[in-house]
Amino acid sequence: MPKFPAGNFGTDPTRGEELFVALTTAPDPTRRGPGSVRAHTERRGPGRFRHSEGLAGYVFLSPWLIGLMGVTAVPMLLSLYLSFTNYDILTPFSEVQWVGLANYERMFTADPSYWHAVRVTLTFALIAVPLKLAAALGVALLLNRAWRGVGVFRGLFYLPSLLGGSVALAIVWVNMFNRDGAFNSLLSLFGIQGKPWVNDPDWALETLMVLAIWQFGAPMVIFLAGLKQVPTELYEAASVDGAGRFRQFRNVTLPMLSPVIFFNLVLETINGFQGFTAAFVLSNGTGGPVDSTLMYTLNLYITGFTELDMGYASAMAWVFLLAIAVITAIFFSTGRFWVHYSDGEDR
Amino acid sequence: MHPATPPTTNAPAGRNHRTALPRRRLLRGLLAVTVAAPLMFGAAACGDDDGGGAADPNAPVKLSIFWWGGDARAKLTEDALALYTKKHPNVTFEKTWQANQGYFDKLATLTAGGNPPDLFQIDDNYLAEYAARNTTLDLTSYQKSGKLDTSKFPESLRQYGVVDGKLAGLAAGENTQGLVYNKTLLTKNNLPEPTTGMSWEEHIAWAEQVTAKTKVPGTQDPSADYKAFWVWLRQQGKDLYKGSELGFTAEDVTRWFDLWKGARDRKATPTADVIHEGNSSDITKQLVVTGKSATSWVWANQMPDLKKNTKDELGVVAYPGDPSAQWARASMYWSVFKGSKNKDVAVDVINFLNNDQEAVKLLGTDRGLPSNQDLRRVVSDDTTDPAMKQSIAVEAELTQKFGKSPQVPIKGHSKVRSELIKAAENAQYGRATTAQAATQFIEACKSAIA
Repeated sequence: MPKFPAGNFGTDPTRGEELFVALTTAPDPTRRGPGSVRAHTERRGPGRFRHSEGLAGYVFLSPWLIGLMGVTAVPMLLSLYLSFTNYDILTPFSEVQWVGLANYERMFTADPSYWHAVRVTLTFALIAVPLKLAAALGVALLLNRAWRGVGVFRGLFYLPSLLGGSVALAIVWVNMFNRDGAFNSLLSLFGIQGKPWVNDPDWALETLMVLAIWQFGAPMVIFLAGLKQVPTELYEAASVDGAGRFRQFRNVTLPMLSPVIFFNLVLETINGFQGFTAAFVLSNGTGGPVDSTLMYTLNLYITGFTELDMGYASAMAWVFLLAIAVITAIFFSTGRFWVHYSDGEDR
Repeated sequence: MHPATPPTTNAPAGRNHRTALPRRRLLRGLLAVTVAAPLMFGAAACGDDDGGGAADPNAPVKLSIFWWGGDARAKLTEDALALYTKKHPNVTFEKTWQANQGYFDKLATLTAGGNPPDLFQIDDNYLAEYAARNTTLDLTSYQKSGKLDTSKFPESLRQYGVVDGKLAGLAAGENTQGLVYNKTLLTKNNLPEPTTGMSWEEHIAWAEQVTAKTKVPGTQDPSADYKAFWVWLRQQGKDLYKGSELGFTAEDVTRWFDLWKGARDRKATPTADVIHEGNSSDITKQLVVTGKSATSWVWANQMPDLKKNTKDELGVVAYPGDPSAQWARASMYWSVFKGSKNKDVAVDVINFLNNDQEAVKLLGTDRGLPSNQDLRRVVSDDTTDPAMKQSIAVEAELTQKFGKSPQVPIKGHSKVRSELIKAAENAQYGRATTAQAATQFIEACKSAIA
């Protein structure tokens, strides 16, 4: 995964874990952050150590803190500044010209390929994300049963996600789904005439979606963990009340799982919008055929590094960041209607 | 993690040469950040101190050099540079090279980071972009003083690296458009080979016949290929660029697209998806070597590389139409970074790579025919590689017929190239009529070169 300054959250697994804990359990202020250091010292020791231990905490934190500042925060702020300039990479910073809102104006009024990329990205996310989550949940339900050798299957289903954003996998995909690829050979066994999937502008994006959906392992594992947490008493009570399999799923599993679904939905949506590697490899970095795989981030990359229009690309990155923030905020605001936190209700 | 960085298995030892300096600069940058963020701008901006040549000619110099190409080119270039070090023991090289795809992304990033190589390979795509932004050193004064000897260069090559009156790069070699065909396939099927001077109509008719007889599409459809379009334009009395404007109209583009729509309808070319595969700049994907078409539209000096990717015999002729529309083109250039601390040495290395007999013999025709005409003769006589011999032969033949060189492509050229691919493919896939695709192309070009 390429790390663009604006919007690389969600790709860092450790932060994802924190988010997971935060989203799926009741709020507990003593759990996380520098506060937890203080909580420990209060319980343990005499007051005079408190200050120095707190300091020690920050010292131990400093590699990450400096890294965050230097590698993420400062470049991000710099890109915000650059988005108001005509920076073209080759010109030194000192000669960069301030152009006000011109880049943003161009984006919204005079750049059809920008809106094309927005459409491609939305199409991709709207179709691939729900299907991926459905596949992950479906397989997790199957693997939640106590079958013999189920551990092996869990491993096998997770495997594609380990290969994740890998370039090698995208290359394999291209070779499987071109005119004389393995997929068409399979189809021909059934007498079906295949298409040159990756080289057909009507099908290239769909091929990328299938690749994304196929890598459902990460949300699947999280679903599986969520399913394990559903108390069996609830199912027993439900079946005593005469609920069938489907009703149990609808009225017990789904509500109990809703925090996990919410978490996966947020993360996968963000990941879906950021899809880059596969599109880059499949199209040789052009977004082709005929711009059919021109994802937002790929368009941004081409604008910045190939066309050397880095000021404009920075503006794109900031609009992208805001768009993802808005979409995430919408998820959070609708969450209270359908996400049930059992901890909160019990108390 | 950078997606455009190619596998590093073949990387020479000098590849990661630049770690020490950036780390120091990074630390300085981080310090500045922790004190006050705005200092960052200062740290980045003062990275490139201007400096001329060293006062002491024997002081040790480490010159960084960056090029794109394959293993073969790397080997030849490293040998030539080693020869320079042998003659000038105080000069050593930090060599970096990689495949063409992603090369210019990296060059731009290095430049932005205040870390550009002293000496780098560049081509038409970006020469004007870099020159217009004052990134390249003006070599005119070196040329005048004779430190950069171009006296044996053909006039066209001498002119070719000039942008806005400045010599922004020196031609590393000469090449021209070459139509490469699969000789084995034609001979096996008793089909005639294409010849220089065939008209476009004759070429298409020939290709139709090849398809009918061999089931291999006769010719790649070059409507997305700017160099084929360019030759065709020049035969119509037009050009790709005129000053800072386009040298053609939407009607010209429509006629060009129609010519190839006709060819597709007659099955002289492959289907749109196969054409798309062949539109890649990657040599290994050219249809003539993947066996998906009998001809490909390439540069003549790419013959040896193409030959490496196929067992079949290949042949090469000029593009169809009047060959005087073709010209002796600088295949690529050597440029010096304007802020380099070792300008004089860098220029001397360019001079060495172009005019030293031993070095030129080592390099062969890998970057095109040698620019120095005396040495070109020497290399032509000595070459043993059959594919190199073929490209030398076709260029030697065409030299008599070459027309005047066009101007160096203007800023925005690389965007024009990618827009042509997009428009042509839109027509090929049947998503737009040829006229619609042409209009769309003109619109996109206008904003690209504005």
